[in-house]
Amino acid sequence: MTAHKKHLNYSFYPGCSLHASGREYDISTRAAFKALNVGLKDVPDWFCCGATPAHNVDELLSLSLCAKNLSMAEQVEGDLAVACAACFSRLKTTQHHLKQDDNKRKLVEMAIDGPAPMGKPVKHILEILARDLGLAHLEDSVKKPLMGLKVACYYGCLLTRPPHVPDLDDCEDPSIMEDILRALGAEPVKWSHRMECCGANFTLSRPGVVLKLSGAILESAQLAGAECIMVACPLCHSNLDVRQEDIEDKSSSAYGTPIFYITQLVALALGVSAGKLGFESVIVDPRPLLNKKQLI
Amino acid sequence: MQSSKKAKMELSNKTMNVDFVKKVEILSGSSVRRCFQCGKCSAGCPMTSFMEHPPNRVVRLLQLGQGQRVLAGRSIWYCVSCETCTTRCPNKVDLAAIMDALRKLSWDADGPSKESYVQLANRLFIENIRTYGRQYELRLGAAFNMKSGQFLKDLMLGPKLISKGKLKVFHSKNKNIAEIEKIFRRIEEMRKKGEAL
Repeated sequence: MTAHKKHLNYSFYPGCSLHASGREYDISTRAAFKALNVGLKDVPDWFCCGATPAHNVDELLSLSLCAKNLSMAEQVEGDLAVACAACFSRLKTTQHHLKQDDNKRKLVEMAIDGPAPMGKPVKHILEILARDLGLAHLEDSVKKPLMGLKVACYYGCLLTRPPHVPDLDDCEDPSIMEDILRALGAEPVKWSHRMECCGANFTLSRPGVVLKLSGAILESAQLAGAECIMVACPLCHSNLDVRQEDIEDKSSSAYGTPIFYITQLVALALGVSAGKLGFESVIVDPRPLLNKKQLI
Repeated sequence: MQSSKKAKMELSNKTMNVDFVKKVEILSGSSVRRCFQCGKCSAGCPMTSFMEHPPNRVVRLLQLGQGQRVLAGRSIWYCVSCETCTTRCPNKVDLAAIMDALRKLSWDADGPSKESYVQLANRLFIENIRTYGRQYELRLGAAFNMKSGQFLKDLMLGPKLISKGKLKVFHSKNKNIAEIEKIFRRIEEMRKKGEAL
């Protein structure tokens, strides 16, 4: 109850996906933060962190792109909030390497032709909600509890792995998503695939990989009795939502499982109107489920 | 794959490339030699079914100086960077970083791997950063289809995503595009001078 009395302000690195295929994540993050009266100010003219392709073949490029973005983030007050799990992972990895390795730091500073300030804490919005703001405050702020909604919380890879970098939660048995969900009044299910990979960026090069891996995730969530899946990464969302029809065609299964961004559920529980959360943009329409549960 | 399994591997100064392993260790910041073949990495790897050499065998081949065999296959390109191997290794081998190092060495040498689609996707993604600053997803998908010759891939998906507002048709360049270009150039320059790997 006391934490929210001081006004929280963050700088924000949305990342490429939030400005395109993951626009609902962007819209709902801003809506949720506004409803919680938490400030969110974009890093001006941020650019791509390099994501997986850059570090896959060129670590120096990957570190330099992130270091430049981190140095631009210094212009905006507040810890750096990140919504995308991949951007979060790359920015944290960069800070980790440059703090540990003077030689790498020197090379990166040559590449960006300036200092690489590493002091600004980089935080995923999960930790802002659960820790900076606090679960008690979140629970107190709920106007419309998500009663009876059975949700499979899906972490994927980069929110918790490798264990020495994101420092967000336990790398094999995290609970931060379930904790937030319970504060919203929903019911997290126990299931097997919350830490398995969705196939990530193979959706472009080898979509067959995504059909197999994301198919197993949808199957596991359904078996556990989940009515929907909640994610905190735009690529996980895209693989489970946009590819769901392909997965159903290939496996002759019927899922129709809506995939929510965590911020969509947070904002909905805080009383933000469903029309402002981008539900119309997703492929597997979540509105029938929300209607059934009398949440919209 | 079967024939290479049956073929005897002769180990000698001539067939073992130890310098290559040292390079991998420098680039990855991880020991290759520490691996004692418990197989935990492969047990947790979501991609083993797509690989001819599962992760633990990649490390074993490196220990035996057989880097070229690894680079010639598709295993390194089918690693999805999920970090499960690194997380679970009981002996602190950072296999995900080793995979990055192997891909870089293969990439720089314009390597012999049979897996071209993943490499093409990586190349286009990085080109997109250099040209636009932020990812232009429509162009990424279209360029991939053109260059991989799969003109019909996900053909129905594009219009669906555009109508949902998920795929932007137009995309403007980032204001920092000149600065981004400088970062690419400086890195190229540093490599030319031998200041960076």
